[in-house]
Amino acid sequence: MTEARAATGPDRVELPGPFPVGRYARRLQEWMRERARVTLIGEVTGVSRSRVQAYFELRDGEGAIPCTIWLNDLERAGLPDGALRDGAEVVIAGGPDYYPGGGTASPSFSFRATDVRLAGEGDLLARLEALRKQLRAEGLFELQKQLARPLLPKVLGVVTAETGAARRDLLAGLRRRGWGGTVVWAFAPVQDRHAAPAIAAALQGLAASPEVEAIVVTRGGGSLADLWAFCDETLCRTVAMLRVPVVSAIGHERDSTLIDDVAAVACSTPTHAAEAAVPLDCIAARQGLGRCVASLRRVGESAIGARARHLAALARGPARALQRERRVLNQKIREIRAASERGVAERSGFQHRIAALVLGRARLRAAERAVEAERANARRGAGLDRVAAGALRERREALRRAAVALRAHDPERTLERGYALAETASGEPVTSAAAAVAAAQVRLRFADGGVEAEIGGEVEREA
Amino acid sequence: MSEKPESYEVAVERLEEIIDRLDSGQAGLRETLELCHEGRELVTYCAAELDAVGEGLKELKLDELATRLDSETT
Repeated sequence: MTEARAATGPDRVELPGPFPVGRYARRLQEWMRERARVTLIGEVTGVSRSRVQAYFELRDGEGAIPCTIWLNDLERAGLPDGALRDGAEVVIAGGPDYYPGGGTASPSFSFRATDVRLAGEGDLLARLEALRKQLRAEGLFELQKQLARPLLPKVLGVVTAETGAARRDLLAGLRRRGWGGTVVWAFAPVQDRHAAPAIAAALQGLAASPEVEAIVVTRGGGSLADLWAFCDETLCRTVAMLRVPVVSAIGHERDSTLIDDVAAVACSTPTHAAEAAVPLDCIAARQGLGRCVASLRRVGESAIGARARHLAALARGPARALQRERRVLNQKIREIRAASERGVAERSGFQHRIAALVLGRARLRAAERAVEAERANARRGAGLDRVAAGALRERREALRRAAVALRAHDPERTLERGYALAETASGEPVTSAAAAVAAAQVRLRFADGGVEAEIGGEVEREA
Repeated sequence: MSEKPESYEVAVERLEEIIDRLDSGQAGLRETLELCHEGRELVTYCAAELDAVGEGLKELKLDELATRLDSETT
């Protein structure tokens, strides 16, 4: 027979035992039941019932514990009908328990609740504050706020319930701003234990699309318990790490849920979320642009106009100066002319006076000379008459002598004495033999008339 | 300004600077004309951006967007 050997641990240290497992199980049950009674808070999931007790899990982001409660304890707790349901936030009182099993029954561990109540605002707020403190300490509140939010996104992602007022209000808010971009819906449950993971998945899906420039997460009002999904630690960590700015509008109060802390902007209503997601009021912006255009046009035109007027004024400067000088010059010319005319008039008057004086004197002298001349003439008159009579006589005598002399030379007188005058046909006197031969035909004029004569022969020279 | 502004807000910020500068009356003629030219380009850009979100709100589901993006990439 093989010698029995005590079982040892991994380090071969000798351990007590072996003990019968059933006895050990009962000891374990006793040990657990001796543990301190506590209260736990968490979300109820997987509720089921047997004839005598109810089973469920209580969980939060970090872990879970299977729980049981005797139905009579549950009844005594006085919860409203159906309150112990999946997703309910509850506080339970009790301690650890171990069911050893036996026979065909399987052993199991559970937290034996002896009392249960729905978690109150205080319970949730206490949990929220602890989580808030932790996330803030990790710097997760700042990450989203450091992202640049576009003034005018063209594509907006929205996570919300498919049915509900939040969706309608958000659309109305966007339209009121005159925004006509694209809304990409990522619908998700917004209240139960499935909500937080679904919302986180929707956010990640939207952020993965490069077109989406901002994301809105919104749901309507409710108690903190109703909004509890938006305090989920995993969801909030997801939001904090997104590359796209998230605008949260959960419930009707700002900063009630943890997602408001980590989001880039927290709003109280979907309408406000629309304004935060599209910061630019498109209607006002269009009007503003119109004013900008008018302002630019006005400034541009006035800048050119003012300078043009200034230039024109400058350009007129020299002309004005010339005109001024010309006026001065014209004035001086008029003054000079006036002065000159005055001077001329004065000199003329003076000259007239002088001339009149001189003329007067000259006339006087002339008159005196005329009288004197008259007298002289009178004196000369007698002498002259005498001289004239003498001269007349002399001239008559000279004339007579001349007539006598002339008559002496008159050819007619010569003709009367028997001479003839030879003339050419034209009446020219022929005064030589040669001329007579040359003329061939001459006219001989006698005192009593003329006769034609033909010249024959040659010139006979007289010895 | 020959390059497209990087965003609407950058364009609007620059436009406000330009108008402030023009309103100050400190800009010379050449600068005024250049600023007016740049301002008009910015206004055109901003108007185009506003027009891009001015054709009426469109709605898509995330799945539809994903399908569209997939078809664009293939």
